[in-house]
Amino acid sequence: MSNRLVAIRIPLILAAAMLGSGCITSTVMDARTSNTGISADESIVIMAKSYHLGNETERKYIRCIEDRLGRGREGLNVIPHDQFVDSLFPWFEPRTAPAETKNLAKLMDRPGVADAIAAQGVRYIIWLDGDTDRVAGGGSLSCAAGPGGGGCFGFAWWQKDADYDASIWDLRELESSGTVSADVSGTSFMPALVIPIPMIARTQARACKTLADQLHNFIVQDESA
Amino acid sequence: MNSPKRTLVFGLLASGLLAGCGGNVTLKAPTIPEPLLEQIDMSVGVRMPENFEHFVHEEEIYGSQSWSIDLGRSNAALFEQLFAYMFSRVVVLAPGDDPQLMPIDALIEPSIDAFEFSTPEQSNTEAFAVWIRYRVKVYDPEGKLVSNWPVAAYGKSQTTMLGDSEALQQAAVLAMRDAAALMIMKFDNVTRISSLAGGASQPTSPLLRRQQSTEAGEQAAAPEGATSE
Repeated sequence: MSNRLVAIRIPLILAAAMLGSGCITSTVMDARTSNTGISADESIVIMAKSYHLGNETERKYIRCIEDRLGRGREGLNVIPHDQFVDSLFPWFEPRTAPAETKNLAKLMDRPGVADAIAAQGVRYIIWLDGDTDRVAGGGSLSCAAGPGGGGCFGFAWWQKDADYDASIWDLRELESSGTVSADVSGTSFMPALVIPIPMIARTQARACKTLADQLHNFIVQDESA
Repeated sequence: MNSPKRTLVFGLLASGLLAGCGGNVTLKAPTIPEPLLEQIDMSVGVRMPENFEHFVHEEEIYGSQSWSIDLGRSNAALFEQLFAYMFSRVVVLAPGDDPQLMPIDALIEPSIDAFEFSTPEQSNTEAFAVWIRYRVKVYDPEGKLVSNWPVAAYGKSQTTMLGDSEALQQAAVLAMRDAAALMIMKFDNVTRISSLAGGASQPTSPLLRRQQSTEAGEQAAAPEGATSE
């Protein structure tokens, strides 16, 4: 490969990378049903709604939300969901977890449950529902290799939608505080002219950031104040 | 690269690729957390079936690969832990033990009716799912079957970068944990085992009962299907 060709290609690749990473649109909404607020000695737990009910929220998405909510100086105390579920076994298993806030009072009356929750200072449970799906795609891209070298030619694209809802339950008041939802759509492109140049839309990562930021504001902001 | 080195590198690559296919899965015995429950104050005996010590499920999926899932003694470990949490006294019977010679209020006999799983290709999702159907039989101290309870459990785990084997193992562990949760919640409601508390045979009486039953030509084993829930 000549030096001149390399000199042309490198700026092209950098330009493509700088141009970005596909197109992303996002919508975030919340609906508050009661006042919130959290003190320094209180914590939250992020849970996925049960797969017994058909939910498919990814574990890595739960971890992402946990990380983002617990990060930084303004970060909340986040109890890892595995630790919380184990400490309350078997009452937060996919089969047994309460599906509605009206079941919370009965759950709290079970032996050891209220004590285990109090010991961890859990004030809010955030139930996540939703997933990221590939919803469309197209184009054509082919690659070939021979003795003199190889390369790709064509154009491919795909679209992913990440739709997540979060229900916030207040364990002190035994009621729902409201919901937050994030709908993110991202389209990735991969043009190839000898070298494929992927422009990936990080749809799920954006959905994580968007939802976590909104959840943080929702919990911290005490509208009664 | 000389020939032996090349052979070694290709061998490692090939074995790595084969391992990635995940056709053979070996499960470590699961650990269930200490449950929040009111322990039932009674003495139970547990008779594990032989295959609980080494359960292997083999299945060939049409148009795809063959799977061998070795649960080892996971089932035995699950029920040992579960019953130790649920009851105040638990005796695990050895193969030759006669339950009627033991001071127990009830005998529990778990077994496995079916083990099934689905791969992401079959379900058109990114998850492995495992279904386990256990059967739990409860006998009173006289050896009469008082409950025959089918327990259906389900576990699901998404595929990860760690490979199919990891996801399938996780799904199986979740299914066992699901079974444990169901049994903790419903065991007494379904089987009424606590009503047998206090009926433990005394050290002398089982011998007497055994002699009597031998004289009567009766079998110590309980009848099948006395109760089904």
